[in-house]
Parts: sequence; structure tokens; C-alpha cells
Amino acid sequence: MCQSRVNSLEVPDMLPVVVVHGGAGHIPKERSEKSTEGVCSAVRAGYAVLKRGGSSMDAVVEAVAQLENNPAFNAGCGSVLNMKGEVEMDTIVMDGKTLGSGAVSAVRNIANPVCLARLVMDKTSHTCLTAEGANKFAQSMGVPEVPMESLITEYARMRWRKNLAADAKPVECQMGKMGTVGAVAVDSEGNVACATSTGGMLNKMEGRVGDTPCIGSGGYADNQTGAVSTTGHGEAIMKVTLARLILFHMEQGQSAEAASDLGLAYMKSRVEALGGVVTVDPQGHWAARFSSKQMSWAAAQKDTLHYGLYTGEHFTQSIDEPL
Amino acid sequence: MDLKMSAVLVVHGGAWAIPDELAKASVDGVKTAACEGFSVLKRGGSSLDAVEAAVRTLEDNTVFNAGHGAALNTDGEVELDAIVMDGRTLACGAVSSVQNIANPVSLARAVMEKTSHVMLTSRGANQFAESIGVPTVPTDKLVTEYERKEWEKQKTYVTGVMEDFNSQWAHDTVGAVAVDSAGNVACATSTGGIRNKMVGRVGDSPIIGSGGYADNFSGAVSCTGHGESILKVTLARLILSHIEQGKSVADASRLSLKHMGDRVRGAGGAIVVSPSGQWAATFTTERMAWAAVEHDVLWYGLDPNEKIQEKLAQ
Repeated sequence: MCQSRVNSLEVPDMLPVVVVHGGAGHIPKERSEKSTEGVCSAVRAGYAVLKRGGSSMDAVVEAVAQLENNPAFNAGCGSVLNMKGEVEMDTIVMDGKTLGSGAVSAVRNIANPVCLARLVMDKTSHTCLTAEGANKFAQSMGVPEVPMESLITEYARMRWRKNLAADAKPVECQMGKMGTVGAVAVDSEGNVACATSTGGMLNKMEGRVGDTPCIGSGGYADNQTGAVSTTGHGEAIMKVTLARLILFHMEQGQSAEAASDLGLAYMKSRVEALGGVVTVDPQGHWAARFSSKQMSWAAAQKDTLHYGLYTGEHFTQSIDEPL
Repeated sequence: MDLKMSAVLVVHGGAWAIPDELAKASVDGVKTAACEGFSVLKRGGSSLDAVEAAVRTLEDNTVFNAGHGAALNTDGEVELDAIVMDGRTLACGAVSSVQNIANPVSLARAVMEKTSHVMLTSRGANQFAESIGVPTVPTDKLVTEYERKEWEKQKTYVTGVMEDFNSQWAHDTVGAVAVDSAGNVACATSTGGIRNKMVGRVGDSPIIGSGGYADNFSGAVSCTGHGESILKVTLARLILSHIEQGKSVADASRLSLKHMGDRVRGAGGAIVVSPSGQWAATFTTERMAWAAVEHDVLWYGLDPNEKIQEKLAQ
């Protein structure tokens, strides 16, 4: 019997891949462990979806929903409070195949705004619903309303109270102490998607909408180029339409990493603000880049978990091993 | 060289299948607004002042779906969106779903100048308006009889916005772009949205990069048309990215609108001005009411390839 021995060790494919972030800024040391745990857990969940054949949209929604449920992040439960002490949330999802998008802004009393944003995309002919209209829609979809108290943590309340002080500087103080969350992914079929969710800016004016639900700013996804989810100073991200800017650079041949750095550098020089992004291209090249001090992030690809917090950090381990 | 030679202002009154019975009023309306905005530039005003003045004129004109004359949402209420942007600093102000304000473009400017934010929505936007003394206007003063009748008609037969043939639906958002004698560009866009839209539906108009964008390095854009399509391709920012790559304002507009048509089957229009005073008014819908003033000449059009000129009245 003649048997050819073939080395059947396969090099795992670049796809699928998912990258998540838990906010860019200055995360206090005592909260950084929870932040790292949170993004790693969320990326594992997103990766599991992809491995069983789920779409990139399913994966980013799963990852972000987990981060919304995690009180350590400024999204869903754990959201920062507006100046009245209330929670108003902004979210976006985008499908790179169709350029379909769903967003909600200033929505209240919903546990998972990312799921609601997806419903806007899937079940309406619109791409963005705001405030009471978003809540009415949620009701019509049978999405349960939750008491605002269930979304408010002691930490968020403490930060809010501190910022009510006359000499408080909310814009400086809030930067990333609690982070917007987001994810990008490419599935096995090469479809890209993004999702971003936030409680917004600490002590913001009622009805203030940041970059997150604004297509091209908080996120963008296009199968022809890639997907981006952003975090950082919202107003600045809007002024440079950061997500779309990074993808323009990629369209012109820059890598995911170089394009991300170019976009962030431009935001720093043109409007003097800091932030972070997670970026992916349809081939599975990814980047987690930030101009702020820190950004908690994690990626999963080829059964490997990658994560980091401080600039230059890049830890790797098998996805199945505990942290 | 007379610096004022480079000052240009372009306005639009919406890209859609404007019916003949509204044609004259639409063209007259954009011409008046263009002259109004240009007079601001002539007396040395900034491009920001000029676009605000032009759009206010259009908001006050009931023939357009912005401010006075706005469309009604599915609950029979008025919800208005607007944006302004300053190309020099990239400062921006926007309001979405603000109710019963006569001039949302001015409220958007106030967000930009009086708050540390870029965008306010809904109740928060109305509270801000109140805090700065902007009066509320009752719905029946903003909405025309015609609009109310059309809304009632549509409620009986249609349950939503048709995806196909979206240029048939009224998209008479208004907008303006300008470059002043100092070379600063600015844009402004204002709308009442789609008739019978879902409560709280936000279209492209107040979303930076979609309804409008302005950057002294490339130019200013204001868009109109099928809002969801404009959002999906971030039309304003897309046009400027082509200009950044060296395309003319006209080619950048054409390419971007074609992309929107090909990729997401959306039709619309855009007005663009570059920092050096090049300008274009382009559309893929059946008609777009537009007007521009440059070198004391008033240009305007409605149908494709139409470009009529008139000497500006002194």
C-alpha cells in the first residue's frame, strides 16, 4: 500500500477576525483590570459567533452588547450621566456589504442600544432615530424598557456629582475615564461590519449627541475598504469625520495601521484632540491605535487573543486560555 | 486685485421631481436667497454669515420644506434638522428633531457658538433654544394647508417611505455654501425631513459629513436628496475627498452622486464651492432648484443642464 504522507498542519486563515475597544483616554489604575477583562471577554464572545459561521454584524453586535451589559464601560449599564443626572445613549451599527446602517441617539431606558440600532437598520427604511422616537420604536418592536436606575452605577453617579462642582472641568475630566465601546469584524465571507455604543460625555447638556451615532464619525464599514469604530473626544471626532477619514486613507493604499495613525494625527493637529480606533480591512489586517494615554482593546484572530491598554502594549495568548 | 472677486455663494432648494406648479416659486425662492446671502458677502460679511442668511430666507419661504413649510411626521408634528459648519476651524453646530422653531439654521449656529457641543437633539435642543430666548412657533404657523392635506392623503394610502423611485418624493431640503473674500468657506443645510417619517427619524441634513461639510483646505458642500442614501455614502465628505485628490468641483460632485446611485440606488444633489471660488450645482434627480452668485452675476437652474444667467440687480 502506497500512502503519501502530507503534512496536514494547516496555517489558520486571516479570517475571521474581530477587534473591540473599551474606550480611549485615561483609565484609572484601579479600573484598568476590569477594563481589560471586559474587552477580552467581549472579543471572545464575538469570535465564537464568527467561528460558528455567524456574520460580522452578528459578531460586533454580540461583542458590544456584552460591553453594554458590563458596568465597567460607558455604554448601556455604566453609562455616564448627563448634566441632569440621566442616561442618554448613542449607538451605531453598519454593514459593509450593503452600507446599511442603523443608529439611535439620546435613547433612554434601554439595556442594549446596539440591538435597537440594528433593528432600526433591519426593520425600518430609516438609518437613525432619536430620543422619544427611538423609544417609541423600541416599544413597537417589543424591546423592553428598563428603569434608568438599572443603568446607573455608583461610579457614574460619583463622577457626575464631582463634575457639578463649579470649578470642575468636565471635558478634561471625562476623557476616557469611562469608555465608549465598539467593535469591528470581518467574517469568513469577507463581509465587514462595525458597531459603537456610548453613554456620551460626562455632564453633557441634555440632548447632546456626539460622534457615536453619526455615520462616518463614530463608525463606518464598507466591504470595499474596511471598517472602523472610534472613541475619544466626540466633538473632535465629528469635526474630522474620523472613521470615514481613516477609510479614505485605506482607499488610497495605506494599511489599516498607517491609516489609523494618520487619522488620529490629523485630529490632534487640526482640532487638538485625542482618541482611539479599531480598524480592520476585508483581508483581515487589523489595528488598535490611539493618541490618548490608553485604550483598552482586544482582538481575536487565528485562535489567538491579542490585547493591550497602554501605548505599545500587545499581549498575545491562545484564545482558549484564561487571562 | 479686488479680493471680493473671489466671493461666491450657491444655494439649493431641494433635489427631487419638483412639479411644474411649484417650479416658478422654487426658482424665485432660490434666486432671492442667493441674492440675500451674496449681499452679506458684498458688505464684507463672513461666509458663515452669508450661508446662514441665505438659508434663513429659504426657511422663511413656505415653498420649501424647512422651517416654515416643513413636512409633518407620522404623528402630525414638525421635527426639524439643520447644520452649519465653519471651514476655517471645522467648528460645527447641528440640531436634529427640534420642534417648532422658525429658523433651525440659526439655532444650529448657536449650538456651535454658545455651547461646547456640536449637536443637540429633540427636547434638549428645544430646551437650549428656550434658554437663549429663541421663540417657539405653533405648528399651524409653520405648516401650510397644502402640506397638511398631502399628509392626510398619504396617511390613508402609504405606510412608509418607498425605497425605489425615491426621487419622486419631496426632498426639498435647503442649503447654501459660500466662500468669502478672506477665502473662508462655510456650509449650511436645513430640512423638515420626509413627509410622514417615523417620529424621531433623523436624515442626512444634520449629520456632519453627510448633509454638509466645510473645510478651508478643500471646500464646502451642502447636499439634498434621499437622506438615507446620502448618509450611507457620507456624500458631502466623499465629494471633498475627490477634490482633495485633485478633481474639479464638478467632477467630484458627479463621481460621488454616481457612486451613490450605483452603490445604494439613491438620487440627490449637491452644491459645492472651493476656497478659490470654483463652484458647481449637480444633481441626479429630475430637478433641483439652485442659484449662485459670482462676480455680480446671478446663475440659476431647475432642469438638468439648465444654467441661466442674469445681471445682479444693484
